[in-house]
Amino acid sequence: MRAGRQSFKAEKPVYVRSSYSIVGPKEGDGRFGALFDTVLKDDLWGERSYEKAESKMHRETIRGAVGLAGTDLDGIDLMLAGDLLNELSASSLAMRYFKVPFVGLYNACSTFTEGILLGTALIDGGAADAVTCSTSSHFASAERQYRYPLELGNQRTPTSQWTVTGAGCTVLSSEMPTPEEDVRARENFAQSMREMRENCLNSAREEDRECKRRAENAPFSEEGVLGRLRRRLAGICRPSSVSEPVCDTAYRRTHIAKITGGTFGKVVDFGIDDESNMGAAMAPAAADTLLAHFADTHTSPSDYDMIFTGDLGRFGSEAFRFILKNEGIELGDCYADCGAEFYFPHQKTFQGGSGAGCVGTVFNSYIVKGLERGEWKKVLVLATGALLNKDTPLQKENIPAVSHAFVAESEKR
Amino acid sequence: MTDKAEYREYVKKNAPGSPMFRSVFAAFLVGGIICCIGEGVSDAIKAIFPDMGETDIGSWTTVVMIFLGSLLTAVGLYDRLGRFAGGGSMIPITGFANSVVSPALEYNREGVFFGVCAKMFVIAGPIIVFGVVAGVVAGVIGLFAG
Repeated sequence: MRAGRQSFKAEKPVYVRSSYSIVGPKEGDGRFGALFDTVLKDDLWGERSYEKAESKMHRETIRGAVGLAGTDLDGIDLMLAGDLLNELSASSLAMRYFKVPFVGLYNACSTFTEGILLGTALIDGGAADAVTCSTSSHFASAERQYRYPLELGNQRTPTSQWTVTGAGCTVLSSEMPTPEEDVRARENFAQSMREMRENCLNSAREEDRECKRRAENAPFSEEGVLGRLRRRLAGICRPSSVSEPVCDTAYRRTHIAKITGGTFGKVVDFGIDDESNMGAAMAPAAADTLLAHFADTHTSPSDYDMIFTGDLGRFGSEAFRFILKNEGIELGDCYADCGAEFYFPHQKTFQGGSGAGCVGTVFNSYIVKGLERGEWKKVLVLATGALLNKDTPLQKENIPAVSHAFVAESEKR
Repeated sequence: MTDKAEYREYVKKNAPGSPMFRSVFAAFLVGGIICCIGEGVSDAIKAIFPDMGETDIGSWTTVVMIFLGSLLTAVGLYDRLGRFAGGGSMIPITGFANSVVSPALEYNREGVFFGVCAKMFVIAGPIIVFGVVAGVVAGVIGLFAG
């Protein structure tokens, strides 16, 4: 049901049936490291390029979330997905593996909240019963697309952010899962993971044996250093890197998270044109959406246990507080920025994490788990996206931004 | 909403800036060390090939430094050096080598022709263009004045 100028409230309950997140090694060392479902040891994940690795993360996180939802792909009506790569290549290439209708979304780093809002609206309106919302980003592929080659010896400015390597997926559904279904889904999923891991290990062992055989039978006759070196090079093989999916079969949720509404954001341009200071460019959009949300739903910060922004970064969240203060709103302690909290300061990411995978992974691990424990009753998640590509700053355009917000509540079952 | 000009003023005033002293010091230190290594290479060439002329020694020193810069880029050390030193490792010729080799490595995955060859000069291209243009201008001036 529409509320005010930009917002809506879901009339039917829309439950977070399951959630799944995969992150890279640096993210695993970060503040939320223990909460992610899978932490990769190698950010190439056995693929030949970072783009392929991102697409694989995207695919596997969807597979994980669908598995934990206790359904197969026939139970999913629609997939909403997006990422930061040109023409959404990470998500669209991942979608080849699923025979499910796909809608590609792009709103830069706010794609995840956009997906959740649209998914909620579609389920509420009866167009679908179960949808997946997923986003991904990869440090190396984003760096190459928006900035410079990885090996270039340039310095990052103190206002810059670090694109999160990670993918997160949420399955939204109109049905509330029973505790028995939850247990069964987890056990089945853990079983299939064990099998997959076993297969992976077997094929890696097989590959290793094959490489050894090749090295022994190598037709190099030379003796001495050169011959030994060539034989050793032939013996090196890179076994398809084995992921270690963690499925905690003992995890039980006492509460269910549900999405109850949200606010679509407008594009806001405050004339910031420094592409290495995205936080400052996005803070006005976040403030604009938050003010619209409060006006439309007649709420105030005290109605929420927690308000999360996506990836404003440390300075960006200060700027966000500055704008809200001018409007007479104090957020106090009930506000956190996912990007600013993502890494520890010693990880040298300056302003913290960013990217479509930032809020996608934090929501699907930290925030959902907090709601499922009943720690928070009602939270507001608003992610922001800076709308630029590599050419617009060169053509002297400002960096406009957009922000979408959704409300997640926790319900005891 | 807040006034846009006021917000831009706030951002300008409060955004964290680069630590001036640390950046300058690191650049001075690393840039100086790279130049010392260059001098060392030049002296070594002079000692090994005593008959070589000054210009030839200069050219061979450049070649050795470019090789070293490319090698350190390829093994993944030059970007770490650059993160510490900034301009100190970017201005010497090793930095130029880094700016050519790093895109070549990056775009290797798109194949040799449209990857490596096409994208190799995305960063160094402007420097080469300005170098060539400056050379032409200096040549024309030299032709009439000298």
